[in-house]
Amino acid sequence: MNDDPTRALLPTGLRDLLPPDAGREADVVAQIMGHFLAQGYARVKPPLTEFESTLLDGAGAATAAQAFRVMDPLSQRMLGLRADMTPQVARIAASRLAGEPRPLRLSYSGEVLRVKGGHLRPERQFLQAGIELIGSDAASADAEVAVLVAEALAALNVPGVSVDLSLPTLVPALLADLGLTGEAAADLRAGLDHKDAARVASLAGTAAPLFTALLAATGPADRALAALAGLPLTAAAGAERDRLAEVVERVRRDAPDLTLTVDPVEYRGFEYHTGAAFTLFSRAGGCELGRGGRYRAGNEPATGATLFLDSILAILPPGLPERRVYVPVGTPRAWAQALRTQGWVTVAGLTPGTDVAAEAKRLNCGHLLAGDSLIEVR
Amino acid sequence: MNQSNNSKFVLALPKGRILDEAMPLVRAAGILPEPAFDDPKSRLLRFATNHPHIDIIRVRSFDVATFVAFGAAQIGICGNDVLMEFDYPELYAPLDLGIGGCRLSVAEPVDLAEIDDPRRWSHVRIATKYPEVTRRHFAARGVQAECIKLNGAMELAPSLGLCSRIVDLVSTGSTLKANGLKEVEVIAQVTSRLIVNRAALKTRPDEIGGWVERFRAACGE
Repeated sequence: MNDDPTRALLPTGLRDLLPPDAGREADVVAQIMGHFLAQGYARVKPPLTEFESTLLDGAGAATAAQAFRVMDPLSQRMLGLRADMTPQVARIAASRLAGEPRPLRLSYSGEVLRVKGGHLRPERQFLQAGIELIGSDAASADAEVAVLVAEALAALNVPGVSVDLSLPTLVPALLADLGLTGEAAADLRAGLDHKDAARVASLAGTAAPLFTALLAATGPADRALAALAGLPLTAAAGAERDRLAEVVERVRRDAPDLTLTVDPVEYRGFEYHTGAAFTLFSRAGGCELGRGGRYRAGNEPATGATLFLDSILAILPPGLPERRVYVPVGTPRAWAQALRTQGWVTVAGLTPGTDVAAEAKRLNCGHLLAGDSLIEVR
Repeated sequence: MNQSNNSKFVLALPKGRILDEAMPLVRAAGILPEPAFDDPKSRLLRFATNHPHIDIIRVRSFDVATFVAFGAAQIGICGNDVLMEFDYPELYAPLDLGIGGCRLSVAEPVDLAEIDDPRRWSHVRIATKYPEVTRRHFAARGVQAECIKLNGAMELAPSLGLCSRIVDLVSTGSTLKANGLKEVEVIAQVTSRLIVNRAALKTRPDEIGGWVERFRAACGE
């Protein structure tokens, strides 16, 4: 035995989930996955690690800075541990499921590992559950995905779910249009990301009025879209804006009670999105609960969303406590089985001759099976 | 939905220099603290206001950014020197309040400044409250900055041999002068910003956005 307390220390961003949290997480994931499955999203399960060259290809390239690498002694090639599951599902869709009819609806759940934790969420390993809708370019596909994950959260009783829609391609298009590159573009982008109006105005030069107006066009969806409609955008950027308006309209129709905000300059997270994207929030907590948006799965248009289980569990009200009953040694197995079918959790005694009431209490059981009757433990 | 928790709203204000300039704006925006706020003998840290759901907290300028970034306060006022140092992704700075004006500068002893040639530096040792900003600033020109974190009285460091240069806020320059130091380079101009928690703005856009507009009006923009 080694009782050195530092043996319990885990690396930054990693932790043990204990009862009842670990069980609660499994329940919540099952509920979410059931919700996805019931709407035609069939489950896939990619491996934890793949060859670096395939994991970080295509949409996965944006996750490269967040992926741990290990060397595979068998193949002598570098492996990457997944930092996000979307690129893996996109790979499956483009290879093994290339022959399936489109649109292809897939769901998944699994742990991911990241090199760095976030500022609000220091976790480096966490559970994702998500959906991908591959092979459709329609605005109705974007709306379906956003509504589906928002509904999944509402079904879990997450309070006050809101969806913040963004256009990650808009700002890069405007910067390219202005001929801004390198450090100047990065500075301006950082200013936009912090909604720092003063910094944006000083960096944007002649385009300052446009970027200032873009900053002002954030907030409740209707107001933001109206402000965006008045801006002099290029044809490509204008098309993106019209597409966003269409997605908002469809989400509104399917989920009229959902809080919808629009933020045309938001640009963070994995940067593989190629069109309308969104972030999920709750009034109960400051962390993002999930993210989604349009991307390219190989050569196909695709859209999808991922929920972050650690953020969701942090704001969910605790589950109902389990009803535990102590079953003394020697009790017929069928009696305990009968209790389990009624929803009881049975805890079996192992040695005869103990004070069963005291033992029940010590093992955190509210009840005791004495003969064939249940006795409450005080 | 937990309404009582949702409707609560905390404004974080910095102690000291900026507070005197910020209070007229806070009052003009329509937030009036309880009398204890202006009582120097009060030990309170959290103050009620004329709005039952709005409280004011008074903390160090650096802590304003931290409270707002983590969502413990929804709105705050702090200088962009603090925002540059922390670079919290969860903070928005939608409004330059135009108060608390000063600059973040490099200073060194007057006699060193006369013979110094910054082009020859590969490494400098600097006493500062802003190690991140300082490191970034010097790294951008290929110089490694070894920062010694101090929380005040930076001007003492060169004369006592702790290091030869400092990075600190300068407003009139009289403190530098009194300590035989010379401002050799301005890293950034500093003013105070209205800062907002990202998730609060996303989930309560009308309410939080409304307060930003009231502060904007109070600034006369």
